[in-house]
Amino acid sequence: MATLTSGRKTVLRRELEAIVGPGGVLSDPDELLVYESDGLTLFRALADFVVFPTSAEQVAAVVKLAGREGMPFVARGAGTGLSGGCLPAEGGLVLSMMRMNRVLEVDYANQLAVVEPGLVNLHLSWKVGPKGYYYAPDPSSQQACTIGGNIANNSGGPHTLKYGVTTNHVLGLEVVMPDGEIVWLGGRTRATPGYDLAGVFVGSEGTFGIATKVVVRILKKPQAVKTVLAVFDVIDQASAAVSAIIARGLVPAAVEMIDKLTINAVEDAFGCGYPRDAAAALLVELDGLRVGMDAQTERIVQACRDAGAREVRTARDETERALLWKGRKSAFGAYGRVSPAYMVMDGVIPRTKLPYVLRRVNEIVAAHGLRVGNVFHAGDGNLHPNILYDPRKPGDEARVVEAGAQIMRVCAEVGGSISGEHGIGLEKIDFMPLIFSAADLAVMQRLKNAFNPTGLCNPGKVFPTKKSCVEVGPVAYKPHAIEETGLAQRF
Amino acid sequence: MQDALLERLRTAVGSANVLTGVELSPYVVDGRTPEAAVFPGSLEEVAMVIGLAAESDVPVVPWGGGTAASVGTPAARAALVLGLRRLARLVEHEPGDLTATVEAGMTIAALQAVLRGRGQWLSLDPADAERATLGGVLSADASGPRRHLYGTARDLLIGVTVVTADAAVVKGGGKVVKNVAGYDLPKLFIGSYGTLGVIVEATLKLRPVPEDERLVALRFARLKDAAAAVRALLASDLIPNAVELLDATAATALVAGVAGDAPGLGKTLAGAPPATPPPTGALLVVGFDGLPEQVEWQCAELARLAAPHGGRDAAPLASEAWPRLAAAARAAFPVATAMMAFDVLPTQVAELMEQGAGVARARGLQTAWAAHAGVGAVSAALFTDGEPREPGPVAAVLGEWREMARAGGGHAALEWAPLAVKSQVQVWDDLGAAGRIMQRIKAQLDPKGILNPGRFVAGI
Repeated sequence: MATLTSGRKTVLRRELEAIVGPGGVLSDPDELLVYESDGLTLFRALADFVVFPTSAEQVAAVVKLAGREGMPFVARGAGTGLSGGCLPAEGGLVLSMMRMNRVLEVDYANQLAVVEPGLVNLHLSWKVGPKGYYYAPDPSSQQACTIGGNIANNSGGPHTLKYGVTTNHVLGLEVVMPDGEIVWLGGRTRATPGYDLAGVFVGSEGTFGIATKVVVRILKKPQAVKTVLAVFDVIDQASAAVSAIIARGLVPAAVEMIDKLTINAVEDAFGCGYPRDAAAALLVELDGLRVGMDAQTERIVQACRDAGAREVRTARDETERALLWKGRKSAFGAYGRVSPAYMVMDGVIPRTKLPYVLRRVNEIVAAHGLRVGNVFHAGDGNLHPNILYDPRKPGDEARVVEAGAQIMRVCAEVGGSISGEHGIGLEKIDFMPLIFSAADLAVMQRLKNAFNPTGLCNPGKVFPTKKSCVEVGPVAYKPHAIEETGLAQRF
Repeated sequence: MQDALLERLRTAVGSANVLTGVELSPYVVDGRTPEAAVFPGSLEEVAMVIGLAAESDVPVVPWGGGTAASVGTPAARAALVLGLRRLARLVEHEPGDLTATVEAGMTIAALQAVLRGRGQWLSLDPADAERATLGGVLSADASGPRRHLYGTARDLLIGVTVVTADAAVVKGGGKVVKNVAGYDLPKLFIGSYGTLGVIVEATLKLRPVPEDERLVALRFARLKDAAAAVRALLASDLIPNAVELLDATAATALVAGVAGDAPGLGKTLAGAPPATPPPTGALLVVGFDGLPEQVEWQCAELARLAAPHGGRDAAPLASEAWPRLAAAARAAFPVATAMMAFDVLPTQVAELMEQGAGVARARGLQTAWAAHAGVGAVSAALFTDGEPREPGPVAAVLGEWREMARAGGGHAALEWAPLAVKSQVQVWDDLGAAGRIMQRIKAQLDPKGILNPGRFVAGI
């Protein structure tokens, strides 16, 4: 798009200020820098404006102004995304939803809450926690990421194995459509007539419009929780244990795997008590009724032992449980201790293919002369191989990109997917043809046309393009301060 | 219908798989007989049939078991019925992955039988499982009592293959349980009544069969007392897999039906004699599954927490009651005159049931009500003992019911009614702005209006 002249920019800034107030617009390049990328820092693009609306009406007015000017626009939450999904087009407008962060209503009897999209995920559980409820989707960035961002990416988390991802917990949304109309998709009831518009909106990566109110389900906290750590000398045994647990008719709340490299990084950084010489550890969590909990835990323990676990430990109290989870949740921060940079991958495979795919991942990375750490949601086959590298070493970045692409191909070959929870964004648009045909993509494009016919709402995302206007490079990741201290992580 | 089209259809799928004339009687809907019924035997044949119909501008009505065929606005034009019954294979089942890929024409009962033999099940229990096909259940978003814990099709469908109006084979989602690549096309096709594409194959999440499962029935003097017990149950630590609230008419039919087919009501939990059908009031039926000790504990706990609300005679109900619970209101009458389905908030369920029955009674009409109370899904059957001589009173009651649901932010859909009633009461709610988005989606995916036109919401 054409660059704005400084005169035109001044006029538009005044117009935007008239909508959102004088304190609600950024247009100084220094201030805009903060918004030039999300958690995937290698993709960058500078917007002309960042605005901070406080109501659906303000969002609608800004969107209408953008439409009139032919300006691309994108909504942004906390910016913790990992696929470049909320990157602005070069020029254009970012709507930061961070000032729309209220819990508008909690209806405990009907187990739902109405919230604004800028609300931080964990803050909802804090709000309803005192009455014994919580919001189930728990992305590992939940201390920072917002409900609106979770909706864009249909975010998951460790406990989605049992409780489902964001889409399973969203009942309805008030949305500002790309033409500025304010519309309700879905509602407060469990079902609404007609096509499942709320269902297709969730996970549309901000390309169908901007959510301004969200009705989510809240769940009763389980009566009891048990956490088990199983330690394996052979990584294949840990993989096999995942299927063995499922085969015994157990549905744990979470089954997470942590490999040797990651265990050692975590132990270097935090000392969570994981055995350093283990090839892999499984963290299994059960929740539900107090009655029968011990019997179920015993079955998990037995399944892990039968799969070859050399040690199976059950957390005796909340302190021990928190320590075990700290090892899992602080893994990404800990990689900083063993490598100057790393690339985060996100792929999904059928659970039963875990042993094969993990072997392939390790082979591929080794063949490129690199190292990989695996820490991931094993229970639902959602891999997160993290390829470690040194950006100062010539050729390292190119090798990382090539290894990453090969891993994506392996995921596709075994019948899996190229993203389990981070989204396609900009990062993976060129991998889409690995799992979708031209006909599949054409239907998706038509669906997009029904919501976003001008394409001004978050352009350039999700769909493969022949020429990308953004520089494509390796995906370096720099941990945030709170991750380095083990308080939170990205996934 | 042009003979040329019929001839080409016969060539495409074989003469034996094209029905015409009197053979079409099972496919008459709202008094309209289709042009022909075609039963393709493969994905490619489905695409061929749709391509041929589209060329000749003949609408296509996808057909599974026909259990939801009556749902919808009467069609404006005669169409070609596209039956999926020959596509009925279990394509793939990997127990370790807890997923299965199934052809659309397989019945729910047949699928469950195979899966149960391997210790797993699809946690979806719609009515008429012997006839209802997977494709039809997805297209109608049908569900049953266990949706309370396990959700509906939208929580279970992870991948779908459809043939679109332009005869393209399109896949959405995938075969893995967690997947955010691309738009969520499976969600688009659930509950779309065949208006956007014909579902030919689906991949679903499965669950292990629980070791134990039990239904407990409790009697209440009044619906509102049962509703208070439901609230207490939902706020408790218990994890029921079904929470069914039945009015006296539906309850009587349920209990009688179960008792007729099976040992029926066993001893009450307290060891008292079997409960008798409640002449008035309400029946709350709650399901639990899990380890035997978990089921045991929850049954006892349920009786304890329902007692202060007037819940009494807690008694186990035979497992034969499960399929009846999926259609408890309908089953209360030999043939219901009209059926309406509602989605309201869980806290509004009892009031809708009570007031809805009152409105009908005032006009001298009998009703039966049943609800998946924990999720606010209510079903009402209206009975006039034979074809109503005059559609006015029936239409008036249905109209009032819809207003009652809408006033509280809920929704109503007319599931079936005589044609004369359908001409006076809309099948679907007005959807306003959301309806316009749905029209745009329909226009994008089926611009010529070939797929089941005119039957769905917003004139789609």
